[in-house]
Amino acid sequence: MSTMVDLRGVTKRFGAFTAVNDVSLEIASGEFLTLLGPSGCGKTTLLRLMAGFDAPTVGSVWIGGEDVTQLPPYRRPVNQVFQSYALFPHLTVGENVGFGLRMQQVGQAEAAARVAEALALVSLTGLDTRRPHQLSGGQRQRVALARALVCRPKVLLLDEPLSALDAKLRRAMQLELKRLQRQLGITFVFVTHDQEEALTMSDRIAIVNAGRIEQLGTAHEIYHRPATRFAADFVGQANLLEAQLLLQDAETVQVAVTGGLELSLPLAAWPVGATTALIAVRPEKVHVAKRRARSNFYASAANRFEARIEEEIFQGATDHLVIVTATGTRLGVVVANESAFGEIFHEGDRVYCALHADDLVVVRAD
Amino acid sequence: MKPLRLLLPALLALLVSAVAARAAGELNLFGWSEYIPQPVLDGFTKETGIKVNFETFASNEELLSKLVAGGGSYDLVQPSDYAAEVMIRQHLLSPLDPALLPNLKNLAPEFRQRPHDPAGRYTVPYMSGTVGIVVNTDRVKTPVRGYGDVFTPALKDRIVVLNDTREMVTWALYTLNLPINTITAENLARARPVVASWVKLVKVYDSDSPKTALLNGDVDVGVVWSGEAAILWKENKKFQYVIPAEGAHQFIDVLAIPANAKNKAAAHQLIDYILRPEVSVLISEAFPYTNPNLAARKLLSAEQLANPASYPPGHPKLETFRDIGKDAAAIDRLVTDLKSAQ
Amino acid sequence: MSAAPAVSDRSTPRWRAWLLLAPMVAWLTLFVVVPTAILIVYSFCERDEVGRVLFTFTLENYHRVLDPVYLWIFARSIGYAGLTTVICIAVGYPVAYCIGRAREEWRQRLLLLVMVPFWTSFLIRTYAWITILKQEGLLNGLLHQLSPTASPLDLLYTPTAVVIGLVYAYLPFMILPIYGSVEKLDGSLIEAAHDLGAGPLRVFSAVIIPLTLPGIAAGTLLVFVPAVGMFAITDLMGGARVPLIGNVIQNQFMQARDWPFGAALGAVFMALFAVTYWVMLKFGAGEEETPA
Repeated sequence: MSTMVDLRGVTKRFGAFTAVNDVSLEIASGEFLTLLGPSGCGKTTLLRLMAGFDAPTVGSVWIGGEDVTQLPPYRRPVNQVFQSYALFPHLTVGENVGFGLRMQQVGQAEAAARVAEALALVSLTGLDTRRPHQLSGGQRQRVALARALVCRPKVLLLDEPLSALDAKLRRAMQLELKRLQRQLGITFVFVTHDQEEALTMSDRIAIVNAGRIEQLGTAHEIYHRPATRFAADFVGQANLLEAQLLLQDAETVQVAVTGGLELSLPLAAWPVGATTALIAVRPEKVHVAKRRARSNFYASAANRFEARIEEEIFQGATDHLVIVTATGTRLGVVVANESAFGEIFHEGDRVYCALHADDLVVVRAD
Repeated sequence: MKPLRLLLPALLALLVSAVAARAAGELNLFGWSEYIPQPVLDGFTKETGIKVNFETFASNEELLSKLVAGGGSYDLVQPSDYAAEVMIRQHLLSPLDPALLPNLKNLAPEFRQRPHDPAGRYTVPYMSGTVGIVVNTDRVKTPVRGYGDVFTPALKDRIVVLNDTREMVTWALYTLNLPINTITAENLARARPVVASWVKLVKVYDSDSPKTALLNGDVDVGVVWSGEAAILWKENKKFQYVIPAEGAHQFIDVLAIPANAKNKAAAHQLIDYILRPEVSVLISEAFPYTNPNLAARKLLSAEQLANPASYPPGHPKLETFRDIGKDAAAIDRLVTDLKSAQ
Repeated sequence: MSAAPAVSDRSTPRWRAWLLLAPMVAWLTLFVVVPTAILIVYSFCERDEVGRVLFTFTLENYHRVLDPVYLWIFARSIGYAGLTTVICIAVGYPVAYCIGRAREEWRQRLLLLVMVPFWTSFLIRTYAWITILKQEGLLNGLLHQLSPTASPLDLLYTPTAVVIGLVYAYLPFMILPIYGSVEKLDGSLIEAAHDLGAGPLRVFSAVIIPLTLPGIAAGTLLVFVPAVGMFAITDLMGGARVPLIGNVIQNQFMQARDWPFGAALGAVFMALFAVTYWVMLKFGAGEEETPA
């Protein structure tokens, strides 16, 4: 796959504030890449640098193998879907969608055909004479999408396009966006602060924090092997444990984590020569049962320990527990609403816990 | 509530002072703006204890419409000759009592018993003036004697005239040697081409302060009130005043008592006070028009008397305006049409 | 405050609303409706030689309004006001746009600069222009410094001076409403237009202008209508050479003692405003959003 978007050592400063700090990022042609991070992390600035609304202070922006750093937005082969949709209130839906074609002086007949096609693509056929204010939020979103897609951009930039929709509609739109992207094969760069959205839609996710990309990888990689404390914390939930090296042999290391619980993990996962490290454990990776189980999983787990349920919050499909070991290590645990043996959990219950060595992920602390 | 509590004492105070003033006598005067010096009124109040409430107007028409509408109750008004004529005809003025006006003797006879008030029963002349030509002799070297010398192509766009339709038509009638107070369709038709040729030459029309354009150097010659010319002459002797040889409009502004005046006695007192030479001379000093008060003229300086705009030499042909009633509309339309047609 | 008054409000909304409106209704009645009614009644009346209005019905005054002299003056007044409006848009739009797009903390200060002239009286400001434009004035003095041989510009008492005076007097009334719509303009719409391939000029003509049209329409109304009727500037800066409709109307009341004719001119003038307003409303409001 060829590279479609290439940011090379890009830095953007606004006065004394550095919004983007030396970022290099290659996005493949036809890829769905999400820039995920909290507000103010620089993800929107990254998008604006691609769109051309801002010029980088240092570095260059390449799109489709061409250096576009000096090109204004209206000369770049990219189109954007805005967070507020930015539909022109004085134009009809049809005129909004046809705006880009009008600017490119596409012939009337062709433009009309392409507008109709774009509206059909987002299931808005027949609404072309409406005004934006006569549409629902979801419909406006689709118009914004059609308006950008009708220009056949090489890259479609989406700036939190779903944030104004209600939860149900948002989920439907996530799937629809993904379907459209596959169907059209256009490169999508999607900005969001919603980790679930990122996980659902993306081929790859770039975790952005304080102007830098902390981690770049597939949804699986990001979730299962977070590289930093921030990545582990921002995507999903994680128990973050300070680990102290106790013993080391040819294949494993033995560590004591916050609160005194002793755990073992593969030597390969441990940073070479380190005596301490930060370990992230996803709460659903801690297996609990009220009786000592004989399942394969339990038996194969490198770490087995007992604990007491200190807190239990029932959430329907899942049960959220806080357990405390005998030595006082506290762990958040997420289980299905009953154990594999049909047990129901209560505060104060004694539970047997198992934790696979592979599920202990050492993350960078910064 | 609070504003009301503050307002009540203020209203009371106002009421009390009003009553007090009435007790000492009060006079409502309606006069031209910038024509009666404040020291004159202050002196009168100091001497008699009569408080003068001074309201001003900017045109005779304003005065007329107020009196006709019955609005305001004035004890003394200051119309020009032709407006006084209308008021007399409409029974809006009260006859004067000569016994209360001993200072009438100070007036020059030629300013009394004029056509607007043939018997001199209703009005007392206050100041008089003419409408004539003022020339900036630094800029205009050719001799200027009459209207014909002003409205020539050589002076195109260097002329200021009064913004008054009747004045302009009057000058045209003078150049045609036609009567100025008998307006007929035929005479207007003859005046029309004359005015038409004039409006093409005029740069500024200004009745309020025609001297400004002359002082600023925007124009070099004007047909203006003699008072304006007198001020210009005081400022700089290069501004010479000429009474047009063809004839000129003379205006006499008078004092008169409305028929519905409440304090006619005080009004007579003020008229007689103004007729005193030492008072009248104050007016001449502030507003250098022609003072009809011979006794006051004796108190003027040689330079004041030498001002040609105040006291024109020789015996020029001067006429006052008579009221022309609705014919004013025909004149207004004529001049508006010609100005508009440029 | 508490919920109780709100409830009683709901039960008697009508008279309370009227009570709140009463001062404005009274004000409008006293100072707009009644004078307008008087004006219209007078316009069908006759007058006597002193200028008293006689209540005998006549159409003579309207007949005179239709005299080509006055129609021509109406047309010229509209021409002057139209030119003034166009210049005000051309000059005021960029100013309003820059202020509206300036950083927030600067906007108020810049707006203040637009308003400052209003702190002095209209006449003083007009006389200031006379001082600038007169033959021996500041402008010609400056030109003389730059080029001593050039003959001085003849500006004062010309139609140019009238237009300068009108533009100066009414410019803020154009800037303020345009500023209002520029300030409301969503910046992302401009970015969206850029993004869709529109260069700066196209963004301006296809997005910014249509979206600020309500401001332009309001400004046009605020400038055009009073500019048609202005008489002081024509007198002071134009030397009263060219009569405009405002001067003619003023003349009927102040000199010609012909209130009924003045009233008829005024009534026609008001009808003209009403038509302008209606056109603007249709033209301007058509672009404005109506609630869905």
